[in-house]
Amino acid sequence: MEQTLNQIFNLVTDPYTGIAAWKERLQKKVVGCMPMHLPEELVHAAGLQPVVLWRSNEPVTLGHAHVYTFNCGLTRSVVDDAVKGKLAVLDGIITYDLCLQARELPFIINRNAPPAYLETVYIPGPVTAPVYKDFLLENFRNLKASLEKFSGQTMTQDALRQSIALYNRQRGLLRQLYALRRQTPGLIRAKEMLAIVQSGMLMPKEEHIPLLENLIAELPKRTVSSGKKARVVLSGCMCQTPRFDLLDLIEEEGMAVIDDEIYVGGRYFFHDVAETGDPLEALAERYLNRTIPCPTKVDWTNHWGDYLVDWVGQQKAQGVVTLLVKFCPPHLCYYPDVKKRLANANIPEVMLEVEHEVVSLEQVRTRLQAFVEEIR
Amino acid sequence: MEMEREKREEKPKYKFNRLETLKLIGPWVDAHWDGLRVAKKEGKKVAWSMGPLFPIAYAMDIPCHFHAGYAAYCGGRKGVPPLLEAAEAEGHILDACSYHRLHMGVISAIEKKLPIREEVMLPTPDIVLSARLCTEHTHQSDAIYRHLKVPTIAIDIIPAHRESDFKMLENYTKRQLTEVAIPFLEDFCGRKFDYDRLSELLAVLKKASEIRNECWKFFELVPSPWTLWDWGVSIAPVFYLMGQPKTVDYFQQLKAELQQRVDQGIGAVHPQENFRVYWDGWVPWSFLGPISRKLLSFGANPIVGKYPWEFFPHPEGIDPNRPIDSIVEQWYSYMMSTRSSPEFALPFIEESVEKYHLDGMIMFASRTCRLWNLGEQDIIDEIERKYGIPGVVLEADMIDPKFFSEGQIDTRLQALFEMMEARKRRRR
Ligand code: SF4
Ligand code: SF4
Repeated sequence: MEQTLNQIFNLVTDPYTGIAAWKERLQKKVVGCMPMHLPEELVHAAGLQPVVLWRSNEPVTLGHAHVYTFNCGLTRSVVDDAVKGKLAVLDGIITYDLCLQARELPFIINRNAPPAYLETVYIPGPVTAPVYKDFLLENFRNLKASLEKFSGQTMTQDALRQSIALYNRQRGLLRQLYALRRQTPGLIRAKEMLAIVQSGMLMPKEEHIPLLENLIAELPKRTVSSGKKARVVLSGCMCQTPRFDLLDLIEEEGMAVIDDEIYVGGRYFFHDVAETGDPLEALAERYLNRTIPCPTKVDWTNHWGDYLVDWVGQQKAQGVVTLLVKFCPPHLCYYPDVKKRLANANIPEVMLEVEHEVVSLEQVRTRLQAFVEEIR
Repeated sequence: MEMEREKREEKPKYKFNRLETLKLIGPWVDAHWDGLRVAKKEGKKVAWSMGPLFPIAYAMDIPCHFHAGYAAYCGGRKGVPPLLEAAEAEGHILDACSYHRLHMGVISAIEKKLPIREEVMLPTPDIVLSARLCTEHTHQSDAIYRHLKVPTIAIDIIPAHRESDFKMLENYTKRQLTEVAIPFLEDFCGRKFDYDRLSELLAVLKKASEIRNECWKFFELVPSPWTLWDWGVSIAPVFYLMGQPKTVDYFQQLKAELQQRVDQGIGAVHPQENFRVYWDGWVPWSFLGPISRKLLSFGANPIVGKYPWEFFPHPEGIDPNRPIDSIVEQWYSYMMSTRSSPEFALPFIEESVEKYHLDGMIMFASRTCRLWNLGEQDIIDEIERKYGIPGVVLEADMIDPKFFSEGQIDTRLQALFEMMEARKRRRR
């Protein structure tokens, strides 16, 4: 198990080397996908290997000439990696207008470090009328055609179904791991869980599945310290991964993270894709369905705050730690109302900003100490 | 460098020659915003529009706000700070779009009955229309809904990345208008959508914008008889004040005044226009005074910008008999919403360099609006390489004074104008 975890941590701390290694071994073309809503299954079924774009561990340097400091860490980091040539490990990149900042990425990447394949799709914000499903399907069909052209391989319905089944299987295993964490708080550390989920975004699912199976078999054998911990859940954190030291701090201050709905976490695998019917439609439905409310989608009658209040209740959590990616407009605009909704339901909450650069953790520690006192 | 500065200081002070016609705008804009409040008091339904959907409200005779127009108005009337403070007190975070925070401030003022000057306040909306040109537009309408629970509808108007996507996006937008937005509005009003009224509005808009285009031609002259700021305050008649017959008269009068200036050899900058610059990003509504004075101190005239050129630049394509199709085509094929993407901004700026005889570029990067910003540095780079004209980035905000640092702006402008001077000399 330790070996598995090591492998996972190595990959997420240095995706460039890790991806290059399996790419060499599998002789597959790799396509980086903008986080959150792109159907990786479609890339996979075209005979290509999707990975989800990540935030590097390096401070932004060369990227400064292309992207301002007041953009989110993920976009700054992707641009920085691109102009440094570090994304050369990717044969292709797919973007879409997830938010204002993601919107201009293709322009900058195309000018400065164009990969062999650069595709942009359009994903609707609103989701509730038939026109949105049609538009999404049209874009998925276009993406399918474009991927086929790049891979030189026709995608059959069967291939897509198989990819969907594979991805569902991986999602199911992640859900099992999450269930283990809920049963025994502290069994899996927050940073471990995050690394486990993220590693699945950076390697073929075929290879991630055995790792997950190993963890599911071995982790319950761990001994967990019996000290009483405050049960908290993590919320928010679009696209970019929080720094591990931030997660460690939460635990050091006497809390156990029992669940999360962050993107590199519970949001990623929350929903399966239907394995019956037309597979492309099934992929579209996954996006259109109401799952965990997402601030990048437009569905205002589905209040994120209401969702959280219910979910926190189900988890018997004592508090919510919101992770807010610094300069992430969708979350910034939604957060004040979520905070208020939680306060009205008497659910303690604390918000930590997730930055790309190294920040002093001492201030954060003080806030977490105050929070823990409040919820104990 | 020292000598240069001294030389400049010796020069006579510059000033703008004001256009008489512009004076018509202030009262007209006031009347619009006042009209919203009066309508509400009289029991009429009023709308808020986050993004450019107000024409469909106008077609149904619903007085309608337009969020950026309101921000500009509020900025011009110095009403912004207390509203931003109200939003902050409600937990809104400074990094969020200041237009968003401004409207959240209004909501808070409504909910808590805060003592905000009436002339900069908005009446509570009865309906919210949102067009997601920028993703933030729907964040705003979402948030308004969470507070006021008024009927709200949003459609997507996604800017294209490639010309080959125009048709797909046009069809998508048309379908949303006819299947989502208009039926929703009909339901709200309890009557059929008035396509004829929309056609009438568009016929007037077409005429006004055509004459406006003739006014734009004057920017090509050296010296230019008017400045981008003059055009900035003239946008409303071809945007949220569209469709009123007097908009046509306005541009006719403006054109005549510009012609008269040319005939008399008068330029916008007195005594002479030293530099002609491109202006990227928002017109800095809250800081128009200080910024225009700073540019003026160098004898610089801002001439053209992609944002101010977004307002129906190709009215020849407007066909009032096909109102919905026409609006959507204007948004895409005729380069309105689409111009915000750097893919389309770059060729526009390239074309502008020669057409308008530009000496330099100023990128006004708004801290809390990330729509126009990304790509600006790359654009400077490209234009500089191709045409040898320098550019600089000014970091500020469209309306939030917290992000307005005079020192930073002065230093960067100083550097820019020194560079422009040097290059100009080399060319001579
Ligand atoms: S983290 Fe937020 S701002 Fe950054 S790309 Fe994702 S949604 Fe956009
Ligand atoms: S982010 Fe920019 S474009 Fe979007 S609403 Fe705010 S000011 Fe407007």
